[in-house]
Amino acid sequence: MTAKNWIVLLAIIVVASVIGIVFMLALSWFPEQGSNVAPEIDTFWDVLVIVSVPIFVAVTTVMLFSIWRWRQRPGEEDLDGPPIHGSTKLEVIWTIIPTIIIAALTTYAAILLVDIQAAPAKGTRVVNVNGVQFAWDFETQTADGPVKTAKLYLPINEPVKFNVRSKDVIHDFWVPAFRLKVDAVPGITTSYNLTPTKLGTFDVVCAELCGLGHAYMRQTVTVLTAERYATMMAKLTKASGTPVAAAGGDGIGEQLFVAGNPATGATACGACHTLAAAGTTGVTGPNLDKELKADNASAADIMEMIVDPNKEIAKGYSKGIMPANYATTMTKAELDALTKYIYESVQGKG
Amino acid sequence: MEAASIPSPVGHEGEHHHGPPIANQSSRVNSEVLGILLFIISEIMLFGAFFAAYFFIRVVSADGWPPGEGLPVAVAGINCAILLSSSVTMHWTDVSAKRDNQMAMRIGIVTTFLLGLTFLFIQINEYLHLGFTPETSASASVFFGLTGLHGAHVVIGLLLLWMSAVRIFKGKVGPDHHRGLEVPGIYWHFVDAMWIVVFTTIYIL
Amino acid sequence: MMAAKIRQPGWYRALAFSILGVLVCLGLSTGLRAAFSVDPVYDGESVLQISLLMVPLFFLGGIGCFDYWLRWASGRTVVDDHADHGAKSWRDYFKVNTDHKVIGIQYIVVSFFFMFIGGLMAMLVRAELAAPGRQFVDPNTYNGIFSVHATLLIFLFVIPVFAGIANYVIPLMIGAPDMAFPRLNALSFWMLPVAGVMMLLSFLAPGGSFASGWTAYAPLSVDAPIGQAFFTIAVQFAGASSIATALNFLVTIITMRAPGMTFFRMPLLVWANFSTSLLVVIATPFIAASQFMVILDRALGFNFFNPSGGGDVLMYQHVFWFYSHPAVYIMMLPGFGIISEVLATRARKPVFGYRMMAFSLLAIVLLGFTVWAHHMFVSGMSDWIRIPMMITTAIIAIPTGIKIFSWVATLWRGVLKMDTPMLWATGFIAMFTLGGISGVMLAMVPLDIHVSDTYFIVAHIHYVLFGGSLFTIYAGIYFWFPKMTGRMFNERLGKLHFWLTFIFFNITFAPMHLIGVQGMPRRVSDYAEQFATWNMIISLASFVVGLSTLIFLYNMIVSWRSGPKAGANPWNSLTIEWQVSSPPPIFNFDAIPSVVGGPYEYGVPGAVHAVFDEAEPEPVAVGAGASASEAD
Ligand code: HEA
Ligand code: HEA
Ligand code: HEC
Ligand code: CUA
Ligand SMILES: [Cu+2]
Repeated sequence: MTAKNWIVLLAIIVVASVIGIVFMLALSWFPEQGSNVAPEIDTFWDVLVIVSVPIFVAVTTVMLFSIWRWRQRPGEEDLDGPPIHGSTKLEVIWTIIPTIIIAALTTYAAILLVDIQAAPAKGTRVVNVNGVQFAWDFETQTADGPVKTAKLYLPINEPVKFNVRSKDVIHDFWVPAFRLKVDAVPGITTSYNLTPTKLGTFDVVCAELCGLGHAYMRQTVTVLTAERYATMMAKLTKASGTPVAAAGGDGIGEQLFVAGNPATGATACGACHTLAAAGTTGVTGPNLDKELKADNASAADIMEMIVDPNKEIAKGYSKGIMPANYATTMTKAELDALTKYIYESVQGKG
Repeated sequence: MEAASIPSPVGHEGEHHHGPPIANQSSRVNSEVLGILLFIISEIMLFGAFFAAYFFIRVVSADGWPPGEGLPVAVAGINCAILLSSSVTMHWTDVSAKRDNQMAMRIGIVTTFLLGLTFLFIQINEYLHLGFTPETSASASVFFGLTGLHGAHVVIGLLLLWMSAVRIFKGKVGPDHHRGLEVPGIYWHFVDAMWIVVFTTIYIL
Repeated sequence: MMAAKIRQPGWYRALAFSILGVLVCLGLSTGLRAAFSVDPVYDGESVLQISLLMVPLFFLGGIGCFDYWLRWASGRTVVDDHADHGAKSWRDYFKVNTDHKVIGIQYIVVSFFFMFIGGLMAMLVRAELAAPGRQFVDPNTYNGIFSVHATLLIFLFVIPVFAGIANYVIPLMIGAPDMAFPRLNALSFWMLPVAGVMMLLSFLAPGGSFASGWTAYAPLSVDAPIGQAFFTIAVQFAGASSIATALNFLVTIITMRAPGMTFFRMPLLVWANFSTSLLVVIATPFIAASQFMVILDRALGFNFFNPSGGGDVLMYQHVFWFYSHPAVYIMMLPGFGIISEVLATRARKPVFGYRMMAFSLLAIVLLGFTVWAHHMFVSGMSDWIRIPMMITTAIIAIPTGIKIFSWVATLWRGVLKMDTPMLWATGFIAMFTLGGISGVMLAMVPLDIHVSDTYFIVAHIHYVLFGGSLFTIYAGIYFWFPKMTGRMFNERLGKLHFWLTFIFFNITFAPMHLIGVQGMPRRVSDYAEQFATWNMIISLASFVVGLSTLIFLYNMIVSWRSGPKAGANPWNSLTIEWQVSSPPPIFNFDAIPSVVGGPYEYGVPGAVHAVFDEAEPEPVAVGAGASASEAD
């Protein structure tokens, strides 16, 4: 190895690292930044990339260089390399450098983590997130009591704390745009807090395998301006109110569809189904506006589909995803009201 | 076993068939003894996992302890004494083997076996009178998990002792042939020692 | 005739015993239920669960794993005439055999069989994921397929194939005639097909195969249909097999080294398996326990993981990962050993920094026990555990880095023979470095919170397990193929296999990092529209990886049957296994060699690692060609 060789080798490593880093940073890795922690984590990622690429490039370049420089050439079949057994100096160097890198990265990560984990300020809005096979429902604490919805609404730039629970198996509450996730563990309450910083609608994903409907446990969160949020909440409070006690009365059907029945554990239909009249946009199950109209389903048909969903499976969907327990979690009167509501909403529009 | 009398299945074609060279013995430790010691490390870890369950359910989740209305500490204490004394007789058996005292060996192994059996009997009897079952609560599950795991080990230990006993009574164990007694013996001492740990954490702490 | 067949150990008796076993279990279940007046007396699930536990034992007894021990236990004089040692025809590979070389091959062939099935499952996974929406399978089947994929590849392929390779070469390498406990060794092997077949049979269970991932988190696995029990119980057999083998390796390495073979003269493969075996003996009981608890919860109504009964759901994960993190090193350290052997021999240089290579293995073993909760950063466990676990996890990069750098330094100034084993070895260094670095990124909690349970993890898994473990396995198989079969493989097909796999492996798994960070969760049969393009590319590339594996299969089969004869030492290696014929004699050596130097003294003129006595005296045959040994 001449001095020139060393310089060439070093130059290759530097140039390849720079190219690698530029390439990696140019890729669009993350989804949009929807919360206050998103920029911090994205920056952290950039730092990790900047540190990692040179390590990988150094190892592979030295290896490829050796292969290129010292590969066996014709006539060298019986040759051996020099009996070099080691070098304490080198070994010390390649122990210390990674140690320093690790120390720096973990310190950075620890500081960032403490920052993310910081307890929310007093009076922060609390949203209870409940996972159930295979839907989320959300319970926002307001001055007028809790409001239960199949879709999550949040005001922009206001800190919020999620208390995450599960009724059956482990789920995981993740909003990729917010960057944070935590498991919903039966028996305990887990939580995290953040501040949404971007208007719009983002995906809510279940990130822990929870059974056959796991892939479909996708919902949305909508971040609104403070005013629109207030209006929305007022509307939802009216629809929600106290648990469904007496049958009959206006709005019961819609209320059941949007929020289910917290008292008995009936999951909200809107978590999985799109129904224009109720304003829900779930995609796990069939779009009821479309499908029921196409089927020209009668009220009795709809009732059967709710009570015994596995009897007939809508095309392209699977058995066992829609809860089969509505006959027990809803009273006869509630089911009637719900069916009537769905029937009228679908057929009423043409 | 009938299978034992069956001639070996593979025919000997080659008359020149000779055995392997004698392996070099590169450690002073005997391989059977080392084997059982390593196996015991594994067993300790298995218990360790159940102790982890105990820790999580009793301390982290704070499910009430003890399960039911108090555990029969006195009975378990007596049982503890029984099992420990079986360790003493086991040791005696082992020493007798080295001294080639066939009579002492026989008495020793039978006593050890019977003491172990008594332990098991009392334990099962205790189960029936506890007033709770594994289905009652998580602490009850842990109680049955740990004591049951130990009980299973007593059963395995007894099986090994049985084998040693058979060989002792057939006169196959002596000063030069005592590995078949020593190894089950080590295992039996482990089963006893483990009971002390289980007993302390479950009944006393 | 038939009766005689059934009395001899073998497949007929195994079948008869298995049928008997089912009947016994049926009787046991109904008998117990009747005794405790449980209604109904006949319960299919109960019979099935008991059978899963017991019938394998009947099978093992039938095939002949216990004959010798039972004879011993019944107090008879046992004579070891070595009748079941060594293979005289291919049929002997289907019998209980005590020769470590036969067992090694049995291990390798059986685990590759399961590798192909596991790989085929991966092909189904990729076919389903090629486009969003439902292609071929319903979600439940999908969950079953990837669960079986991972379970087979981990428990029935990577772990046992390493045990198989080590089984074949370690006694030879340390100059021992066999393993310390040859019959235990046979039992270890026979438990494997039992576990593997059980996992595959789960597809026939009502409700489908086990479908809660290879991690089988409670309470999902507790509530799941009966297929889950196949996992729970099969893992016990695979685990018992691996503990028994590890114990065997440890005792063999400690007590049976040739004279002069000090610990620091052992080839690094022996060191690697020594470290791995420590991990196995200490960690594996934890997965056994976790599955015991699941089966108790499932079958007998225990409350370990039932929160409404006071149980603790997270406890499962702690116990599981206390095994399964060390398990990832169980799946890597033997590979590290293989790479050291291949590099030294093909680079014609001593392994750089031998002692640090050995110590770093031990460091990884120790550290491996302190990091399990890095799989639980988002599990909802107490927040304070996260930072200590992040630090210990990241520290593992240091001993691993020592290994990587030392390997690269071994290449430096060597005479590099870039043939198939060497290509896999160098490919491994690059791919494992990449996978290791993504591991260190995962260790950084703030990032892991975002990418945990996404395809970023799937990418990491495959870079370390495929680019890591599987590449080393290929390197090792090509490297010792001439020793095991006495024949040479086809070099051109070997290189083609490498390049196709290497290129399409990267096209398959590299983009997974990207879609993971972008937000695609793992373990889903359906995904959002935005990930469609990448998934199509990934699926197409993965099919090429699958096809390239067929080249390997073809090469192995054809070369084994009709490849050119390989000499005793085609690689011109110094370690002992290459100093005997290919394949080695039935008892390895006529006389135990003496070790006189280090294993990798390449470049030192005239250096040897071990010397053999020239005129070996014929060992005195005892009795009629059998050495009677009264086991005491
Ligand atoms: C062969 C198997 C194997 C190996 C060797 C590793 C090695 C490592 N793994 Fe991996 N891992 C898995 C298999 C493996 N892993 C599997 C199967 C899972 C998923 C389980 C599941 O959920 O299904 C997983 C998941 C997993 C997680 C959990 C992610 C999550 O679920 O959220 C984490 C987090 O810390 C992690 C980290 C690491 C680290 C730090 C290493 C380190 O050991 C890597 C060390 C190596 C290097 C770093 C490269 C070489 C070093 C240098 C060149 C020196 C310089 C480097 C630096 C300074 C960075 N792994
Ligand atoms: C050693 C371990 C190992 C190996 C080698 C592989 C190999 C492969 N894996 Fe696997 N995988 C895991 C271990 C491994 N995997 C683990 C632990 C998980 C996590 C599971 C969990 O979440 O619980 C996982 C999960 C996993 C997933 C995620 C599933 C999900 O989360 O939903 C995917 C998706 O693409 C995948 C793909 C592949 C592919 C395409 C290969 C290919 O490289 C396979 C190539 C090999 C073959 C194909 C076999 C040989 C070829 C034939 C038999 C010929 C037939 C060929 C054709 C028809 C083309 N794997
Ligand atoms: C966890 C998700 C989920 C929830 C909650 C859910 N469904 Fe469904 N639903 C599905 C899926 C998936 C299907 C398609 C499979 C099938 O037909 O069973 C479906 C099918 C239907 C159908 C039949 C559609 C057709 O075209 O055949 C109706 C009607 C229906 N659901 C109504 C409801 C009502 C009313 C509720 C609430 C009381 C509800 N669903 C709650 C997932 C859900
Ligand atoms: Cu809920 Cu996955
Ligand atoms: Cu890990």
